[in-house]
Amino acid sequence: MRDRGRYVRERTGLAAAILAGALVSSCTEPAIDRREGTEGLRGVELAEPLEVPAFTLADTEGEAWSFRDETAGRLTFLFFGYTSCPDICPVHMANLAAALGDLPYDQRRRIEVVFVSTDPGRDTPERIRQWLDRFDRDFVGLRGPVERVNEIQRALHLPPAVRQALEERGDETAAARDEYLVGHASQILAVTRDGRARVAYPSGIRQQDWRHDLPELLALDDALPSADAGPPGTR
Amino acid sequence: MQWWCAAQGIPWTWQWRPYPGVWLFVGLLVAGYVALVRRFGATRAQRVRFGLGLASLWVALDWPVGALGSGYLASVHMVQFLLIALVAPPLLLSGLPRAALDRLAETRVFPLVRALTLPLVALLLFHTIVVATHWPGLVDALMTSQWGSFVLDLAWLVGGIAFWWPVVCPIPERPRFPFGVRIGYIVVSTVLMTLPYIFLTFAELPFYATYELAPPVGTLSSRDDQRLAGLIMRIGGGTILWIAAGILFWLWYRAETESERSAARSGRDARALPLSRPPPPRSPPSPGTPPSRP
Repeated sequence: MRDRGRYVRERTGLAAAILAGALVSSCTEPAIDRREGTEGLRGVELAEPLEVPAFTLADTEGEAWSFRDETAGRLTFLFFGYTSCPDICPVHMANLAAALGDLPYDQRRRIEVVFVSTDPGRDTPERIRQWLDRFDRDFVGLRGPVERVNEIQRALHLPPAVRQALEERGDETAAARDEYLVGHASQILAVTRDGRARVAYPSGIRQQDWRHDLPELLALDDALPSADAGPPGTR
Repeated sequence: MQWWCAAQGIPWTWQWRPYPGVWLFVGLLVAGYVALVRRFGATRAQRVRFGLGLASLWVALDWPVGALGSGYLASVHMVQFLLIALVAPPLLLSGLPRAALDRLAETRVFPLVRALTLPLVALLLFHTIVVATHWPGLVDALMTSQWGSFVLDLAWLVGGIAFWWPVVCPIPERPRFPFGVRIGYIVVSTVLMTLPYIFLTFAELPFYATYELAPPVGTLSSRDDQRLAGLIMRIGGGTILWIAAGILFWLWYRAETESERSAARSGRDARALPLSRPPPPRSPPSPGTPPSRP
C-alpha cells in the first residue's frame, strides 16, 4: 500500500513539473513587435511636428484633389506606397482598415486615409481604386508625377521612392517581364487637423496598436485648431 | 537557403524552396525504421502505416505547407499542427514492430517512457503543449528562427507521440486502460481542444504578429485567417479524434465479439464433451452370442 502511494506521488509530481515548466515557458513575454511609443502612443511621435506642404494630385476619378483643402479639420493618415508592393503596403493598409472598421461611425467619419502612389507608371487610377477597395472604399487614392510625389516626401523628411530592378535581387524571370519593386518610406503619417504630421507608424504596427492609438489621436486632434480655423471650440 | 521552415518576412512565391533539415529529419526516421524492420521484421500493414505517418510528417514540414505555415498563414500552421501532432504519431506508433517495442521494454529508457505515457500524464503533457505552442508570445518568438520553428514542430511530435502512445501501443500493458476508457480519453481531448479554438475563432484582434504582419498570400485577411485556423482546429482536430474513437469502438466491439465467440465455442465444447468420450469398452462376446455385423 505504501509502495502504491509513493508511486502515485511520484507520477503526480512528474506531471506537475511538466505542467509548470510548460506554463512558465508559455508566459514568457514576446521579444518582438512591441512598439512602445512615447507619451502613451504606440506610434513614434515626431520630435517636431512637420507641416504637410500644400499639394494637389489627381484622385482615382481623375479630379484634382487638394490635400490641404480636403483634409482640413480632420485627422488624416497619409501613406506613400504602390499597389504592386508585395509586403509592407498591403499589410499596413489592411491593418489600418481593420482597426478603423472597429471604430464607432461618429469617430470613423472624422478620419481620412490618403494613399499616394509612388509608382505612377503602373498604378493607373483604376488600379489604385481597385486595390484600395480591397481594404476600404473610403480610402482616397492619389496619383501624380513621381518627381512631384518625391518633393512632397522630401518635405516630410521621408526618403524618395526608388525603382529597384528585380534582377538585382536575382529574380531574372520577373525582370524579364519588366516587373520591379519600388523602395519607399514605410511609415504612415498621422496628420492632425492643423495640417501637421505628428506621429509616424512604421511597418510592424499591429491592429492592437492602432486600436490603442486611434482614440488618443482623435482626442489629440480635437484639442488642436484647424489649419484654416481659429482655436479649438470655434469650429 | 533555410534548413528548416521559419518566418522570413519575404513575399510569398510559389517557387519551390529546398529545406535540407526536413529531408535529413525524415531520412533519419526512414533509416531508423529500416534498421528496425531488418532486425525485428514488420507486417505489410505496419510498413504501410509507418509510411503514411512519415508522409504526413513530411507534407507538414516541407514546402509548401511547412513554409506557408511557418511564416504566412495561421490556418496552414494549424494544418501543420494536425498533421504533426494528431495524424503522424498514431500511424508511426502503430507501424512499429511488436518485437521492437518488446525490446524497448527491456531498455533503461523504458521507465521514462512508461511515466510519460501514463494516460493522465500524457493527456496533461499533450494539452499543455497544445496551449503553450499556440500562445501568441511563444509562437512569435519561435517562428522567426529556424531553431525555434524546429523546436515547435518537435514539441508537437513529442506531445503527439506521448498522447497517442497509451491508445495505440501495446506496451506497457495497461489493464486499467481498456477500450472504453481509451474512448473517454479521446473524448476528453476533443473537449480540451475547445479552449484554443474559442480563443482563435472569437478573438477580436489577430493574436500572432508573425501572421498579421506577414506578406499577404491571397486575399484572406489576418483576422479571417485566424478564424479559419480555429475552425480547422475544431473541425479537423475533432474529426481526427472522433475517427480515432470510432476505430477504438470498432476494435472494442470486435474484441468483445471474439471473446463471446470463444466463450460460446468453449461452452459448446464443454457440452459436447460426454459425446466425444470414447465409447465404453464392450464386453467380450459371450459364447453362443452371434457376432455383430460390421
